[in-house]
Amino acid sequence: MAKTENGVRIFQGLLILGNVVIGMCGIALTAECIYFVSDPHGLYPLLEATENDDIYAAAWIGIFVGFALLALSILGIVGVIKSNRTLLLVYIILMLITFAFEMASCITAATHRDFLTPNLFLKQMLERYQKPEANNNNDKWMSEGVTKTWDKLMLQNQCCGVNGPSDWQEYTSTFRTTHSDADFPWPHNCCVLDSQGHPINLDGCKLGVPGFFKSNGCYAAISGPMNRQAWGVAWFGFAILCWTFFVLLGTMFYWSRIEY
Amino acid sequence: ALLPYEPRVPPGALLGKVTATTFALERPCCVFHRLTNASDTVWLVVAFANASATFRNPPSRADVPLYEGLPTAHAYMTLETAAAAYACSVPGPVLRVGGDAACGGQHGQTACNGPLPSPGPYRVKFLVMGCHGPKAETRWSDPILLRRARSPSTVDPTPTQRSSDVVVIASILASLGAGLAVAALGAVG
Repeated sequence: MAKTENGVRIFQGLLILGNVVIGMCGIALTAECIYFVSDPHGLYPLLEATENDDIYAAAWIGIFVGFALLALSILGIVGVIKSNRTLLLVYIILMLITFAFEMASCITAATHRDFLTPNLFLKQMLERYQKPEANNNNDKWMSEGVTKTWDKLMLQNQCCGVNGPSDWQEYTSTFRTTHSDADFPWPHNCCVLDSQGHPINLDGCKLGVPGFFKSNGCYAAISGPMNRQAWGVAWFGFAILCWTFFVLLGTMFYWSRIEY
Repeated sequence: ALLPYEPRVPPGALLGKVTATTFALERPCCVFHRLTNASDTVWLVVAFANASATFRNPPSRADVPLYEGLPTAHAYMTLETAAAAYACSVPGPVLRVGGDAACGGQHGQTACNGPLPSPGPYRVKFLVMGCHGPKAETRWSDPILLRRARSPSTVDPTPTQRSSDVVVIASILASLGAGLAVAALGAVG
């Protein structure tokens, strides 16, 4: 009798430990997803204009899943300590639902990361940067967002175009319809600017003299934060789900062995 | 007189040396010093490559074909500069043909350096004009072809391949989910 009593106690202890870890991971997941949703790099307008912002949807789901995991882990600890069948049944059902949501979030984040290719941002930049007139309010909002984001990117990251300034020469663009090729082989934000925001040598910039224009592409500055977001949500969620799988299995086993 | 100099696009790494409507030329330093005096001007003749053979030097300043006449005459002259600007002791920046987008509207006698209307190809040569007419010229350059930009609709944004991470995550999660469903049914049923 004492041996099974000890075994039950150990099993309860393991389940409580598992739930504690789930609770802490829930808090971490919520914090991580709030960080991503707050968009510290200001890249959300680019995704919004691609109409493919599902990595943000995945982060939003992650916030609520994190809260749910915290609450359910507390419920689970109480249920295991009291060995209450009803509490544990509620815990199992709600955990299965949360598991399903988190699965969706992970797979969405991982899948939609693959859509963020350089060509996607190149096409968007060429078609939307400095677009003067728009078809409707939504289109105007997206074009303004893209223009502001690109201007900020070029200034802060010392870069030009997606692959480089040659993007503006290899393709025609909406920018080209309002700015002549002779005066603007690339936007003036691609020039090295002084403290007042004027190019230090406009002729040198137009000719492409090294030192007067920014020759790097901005793709690294765009894809770096987005990749970190997508992989952060996807892999951390995956890790939580693997752990939760075992805790849930253990809880189901414990529940089935509780005597009325 | 024919000078042996041949104008060319600067060979160095300048990203903007040839664009869709402009191109750069090496500055012809120390090329005209023996034949010119202070009142001479050096012009740049720009002609379509297939019209360069039929180009005749204008006999006087008044007959100089200007930028506005390019569609009909298939050639024009621009970058009117004093010969002293190309002296041996004056190193200067490269020349940019087509760099002035603001001119071209006024039908005057000023030499307009407007953007080139088509990708070309073009050939150029320098022509020294004195007060009695042309005095010296350089050789024609090799044909210069400008950039032709493609439409952004040719950019294909679809991803090339599915990364392996997605397959791993999706398959393992799917099997975990299935396992839980089976265990739940087994515990309840």
